[in-house]
Amino acid sequence: MAATPTPLEVRNIKKRFGDTEVLKGLSLQAQKGDVITLIGASGSGKSTFLRCMNLLEQPDDGDLIVHGEPVRFKTTKHGREPEDWKQVVQMRAKLSMVFQSFNLWAHMTLLENIIEAPIHVLKKPKKEALEHAHALLDRVGLTARANAYPAQMSGGQQQRGAIARALAMDPEVMLFDEPTSALDPELVGDVLKVMHGLAEEGRTMVVVTHEMGFARDVSSQVIYLHQGLVEEAGPPDQVLGNPQSPRLQQFLAPKY
Amino acid sequence: MIDLQGYGPRLIEGAGVTVQLAVLSLILAIILGLLTASAKMSRNWFLRRTATVYTTLIRGVPDLVLMMLLFFGGQIGVNAISDMLYYSYDIDLYINFNAFAAGVLTIGFIFGAYMGETFRGAFMAVDNGQIEAGKAYGMSSSLVFRRIRFPQMMRHALPGLSNNWMVLLKTTALVSVIGLTDMVRVAAEASRATHEPFTFLLPVAVAYLLIASVSEWIFARLQKHYDIGFGGQ
Repeated sequence: MAATPTPLEVRNIKKRFGDTEVLKGLSLQAQKGDVITLIGASGSGKSTFLRCMNLLEQPDDGDLIVHGEPVRFKTTKHGREPEDWKQVVQMRAKLSMVFQSFNLWAHMTLLENIIEAPIHVLKKPKKEALEHAHALLDRVGLTARANAYPAQMSGGQQQRGAIARALAMDPEVMLFDEPTSALDPELVGDVLKVMHGLAEEGRTMVVVTHEMGFARDVSSQVIYLHQGLVEEAGPPDQVLGNPQSPRLQQFLAPKY
Repeated sequence: MIDLQGYGPRLIEGAGVTVQLAVLSLILAIILGLLTASAKMSRNWFLRRTATVYTTLIRGVPDLVLMMLLFFGGQIGVNAISDMLYYSYDIDLYINFNAFAAGVLTIGFIFGAYMGETFRGAFMAVDNGQIEAGKAYGMSSSLVFRRIRFPQMMRHALPGLSNNWMVLLKTTALVSVIGLTDMVRVAAEASRATHEPFTFLLPVAVAYLLIASVSEWIFARLQKHYDIGFGGQ
């Protein structure tokens, strides 16, 4: 048995919305320090797959194992559901998510956003949470914006703030859902720089992205999804450098 | 200065009844409103149905009729329970259905239905991403409610809530029909006795205006508080 359990493992995840099967059996294993990037055209199911990993979407089938602990499911008339929501809440606290549209809580300052979950979910003492928060703000270069409200910050600042909020949880795995897609092009760089730094220090990350440069530079594994299935997966040199399937070749080809 | 001909203290007492009645009814209405809104947004068919029947019933029947139904019906209900206790368990517990409690219950019950609609709209106006972020960070649903949904919903609810409150305040004037001595009732009695209606009704009108102005000020403060972070400040 391994000394530390695998941070995140999903097996054979299936999900349908109405008549459309969007995930047709997807698996993934994130070992400590892995950076797994999910790429694919819109509608390929990559965001839904990511959202199944912390159960913001309920998978219809498949297993979810966080830090060696499988999430228990039961079947109700509404479909498949977690058996014990307390377990889900504990599981989610280990997986921080960074959203495409940032989703910083609008009624709180940036600093309040960062200490919110550590204090109320992890039950950290306020003093400790504040110290950690200030260190994280410094790290993402937002010390001066600590008392700003999200609406007063640029998109890039909000997203770096959201990453600080995610880091404040000391997460086992960080989930990124297209973190740069809602940003103006000139703001993308700052966010990617922060994510680069996280990858280098050995954070375990699963990233849905359209940034091929980022995928190439930092991924340990790239997974190309097409219509709810894995079309190609492997190290970035192989998947991005030498794509096999015509679809992936076309996906990677310069668009203009 | 207006000569209140000795009715001054009773008018002030009546004003106290009006304010207490209104504030307690408001608290009950807010609690019922939150419950109704949650029930209407629940995926449980029975809860949704019950909430719909409640709001439809209340909004379709005049306040005055409801008040009398609840007051007289309440007394009959209390009597029936006391009878049952006396005959079955030999417990002697005859109580009068208190008019003040009946007033609070009825007004709270009526306005709970209106509040329910106000709160439902306000909850639906909260961006789902804000709630998802709460869930994604390991918050339980009660924590998400307390820390995110409620504070963000309030800015949408306050305009409707303050409107409901103003109507509720004036609805308290109806309680004289079930025997409560609010300021309107005192003024009406005094007017009849002295044949000087304006002497008593004008101060009452001013008193309502005063309460309304103070409430407007409080609601403006609350709005400012809950608008923090949403721009425009």
